[in-house]
Amino acid sequence: MNRGSAIGDRQSSIVVLVSLIVLMSGGVHAQSDARQIVAEAQRRSEAKSQRYEGLLQVLDARGKVADKRWAFMRLGSHGASKAALRFLAPPEVKGVTLLILNHPDRASDQWMWTPALQRERRIALQDRSTRFFGTDFSFEDLEERDVNQYEYRLLGEEAIDGAACWHIESVPGQKKTSQYTKSEVWIRKDNYALAQVESFIKTEVVRRLKYSSFAQVQGIWAGRRLEMSDLRRKSRTILTLEKLEYNVPLKEEEFTLQALRNPL
Amino acid sequence: MILLLILLAFAAPAAAQDVTYRGFADIQSAAYPQTTPQDADRVAVEGRFRFEPAYRAASWLTLSGSGDARIDNLGLVDRTWRLDVRDRGVQRPAFSVRHAAATLRRGPVAIGLGKQFIRWGKADILNPTDRFAPRDFLEVTDDEFLAVTGTRVQYERGAHSVDVVWVPLFTPSRIPLMGRRWAAATPQTPGSTGFIDLEPTFPRRSQYGARWNARGSGFELSLSYFDGFNHLPQFTAQPLSGRPLVALRRSYAPLRMAGVDAAVPLRWFTVKSEAAWLKTSSATADDVVLYVVQLERQSGELSLVGGYAGEIVTQRRSAFAFAPDRGLTRAFLGRAGYTLGPTRDVAFEAAVRQNLDGLWLKGQYSEAVDAHWRWTLAGTLIGGDERDFIGQYRRNSHLLATLRYSF
Repeated sequence: MNRGSAIGDRQSSIVVLVSLIVLMSGGVHAQSDARQIVAEAQRRSEAKSQRYEGLLQVLDARGKVADKRWAFMRLGSHGASKAALRFLAPPEVKGVTLLILNHPDRASDQWMWTPALQRERRIALQDRSTRFFGTDFSFEDLEERDVNQYEYRLLGEEAIDGAACWHIESVPGQKKTSQYTKSEVWIRKDNYALAQVESFIKTEVVRRLKYSSFAQVQGIWAGRRLEMSDLRRKSRTILTLEKLEYNVPLKEEEFTLQALRNPL
Repeated sequence: MILLLILLAFAAPAAAQDVTYRGFADIQSAAYPQTTPQDADRVAVEGRFRFEPAYRAASWLTLSGSGDARIDNLGLVDRTWRLDVRDRGVQRPAFSVRHAAATLRRGPVAIGLGKQFIRWGKADILNPTDRFAPRDFLEVTDDEFLAVTGTRVQYERGAHSVDVVWVPLFTPSRIPLMGRRWAAATPQTPGSTGFIDLEPTFPRRSQYGARWNARGSGFELSLSYFDGFNHLPQFTAQPLSGRPLVALRRSYAPLRMAGVDAAVPLRWFTVKSEAAWLKTSSATADDVVLYVVQLERQSGELSLVGGYAGEIVTQRRSAFAFAPDRGLTRAFLGRAGYTLGPTRDVAFEAAVRQNLDGLWLKGQYSEAVDAHWRWTLAGTLIGGDERDFIGQYRRNSHLLATLRYSF
């Protein structure tokens, strides 16, 4: 497996994607140092927990659409958080659940529960490049990673959708494994929110993630529309975050293999 | 049931989001190009409706269930109007409680009470350590798990978990009906022209099991123990005096199992292995070691699983049994799946006995029409020697079409 995307990975993860999209009302001086910019973006997205319902529209190269819906919840923050993602629709995948245990020093552990089979399956590290249930997100894209797992380089400044952004390259550190060789990240200068992430395998951009519909929720800025494009397959998935909440009361025991088997 | 009512009495009123359900209605049609010596039917049609509600009665209590209603054209489904809970009949029940359980969770402990599915083996192609997992083998190659009735206590702390299971009510695997196309070979008695299937003898003693599982960053390992009965039957045959018939009685051998399973992700694939030492006190059943070693890989849209299932007979005794778990050993097994798009996929499965006496191949194409409808077309090819477990079904190659509405 290729070493991969630093923040790109992290930011292409919808978990982090959302949690990193942050802005607090007070202005923070722009940092010229790439690591400090990323660290500040991470700091602003800090929340003890998070919950939302995601509406996914998967469009293949012919424009054919398949709608899916999942409920997502996360406990803890960057690097050491736990997350569970449970499909609500379509009916044939309802109840399929992914449990993610993130670690600050290594790749996450992931298990998937399939009600029809009545068993959970561990997602092996080398299988994380696989698309997640027909969406354009890979299993790896669902991981949350810490800023310290990557090396950063400021490439310059560039506007995305009219907003001035820092353009940063991130490369996985020595201990990091990833399908991506590197990622390029655009962070908005006005609110430290992610605007775009491009993930590379060698020199080829393979996935592009764009954020839009920014809004402030409980003091945290969040992009509520994420569009992930698989540039090789020419397909894309639009994820719309609904009922987004932060710092909701969640219990540790909801993020165990036992809880994975629970239908609710 | 009384226990569930007591639990409900202590539960707080539920909100709308604490109730969920899923289910489907489908119709399956199998076409067999060949007849068999015991069965001239070529087309089997079965309709099924399944409803699976779940209700979180309190933060610590979830009630879940599943019910089936079925009908078919060949009598594999019982025609009597009764609700079956025990799943002990030779036919599929027309109306059945597939599972019904209460799950209590508090901290690291979860307790499952009632009729529930208990699967814990890690391998995908065969699970010799899954001893609480009887199946419906009416159509041998298209089987389905049956739930067992009992209690499961799980304790999970960090990277370790322990399961303890108690099953007081025995649930057998449902085997092919005698005189039908999937009927297994039966004992031969000179002069006999047929069989009478006597009422089986079901074990009365409880079954117990325990499993410890540990997971690390580079491995996952489990040890398990089982003390109970084989859910697959053995047969005893007795000629009936004055009649050219043989009386067959099914019985279920006492069984103890020590098992181990492990998964180790490597750079290019994951190695999974599962082994069970099965020892019986029956004078007419074998002691065996069943094991599986498989490699697994997913890449892009492709998923691959392939491996070998083996058997070592440590004590051979004379017996006649229906044993698909052993019938799929000494064989190479594989499965490949490919996602063609957001709504379409294909899959292939194969089992080839190492002596080439049995071959089973299955190919399947499936497509979702919209959020609710899906159709599936599958073809199964079976070949081999009639003395082989797989080969005996060589006249049962078939096409299977399924139309399903999920909700």
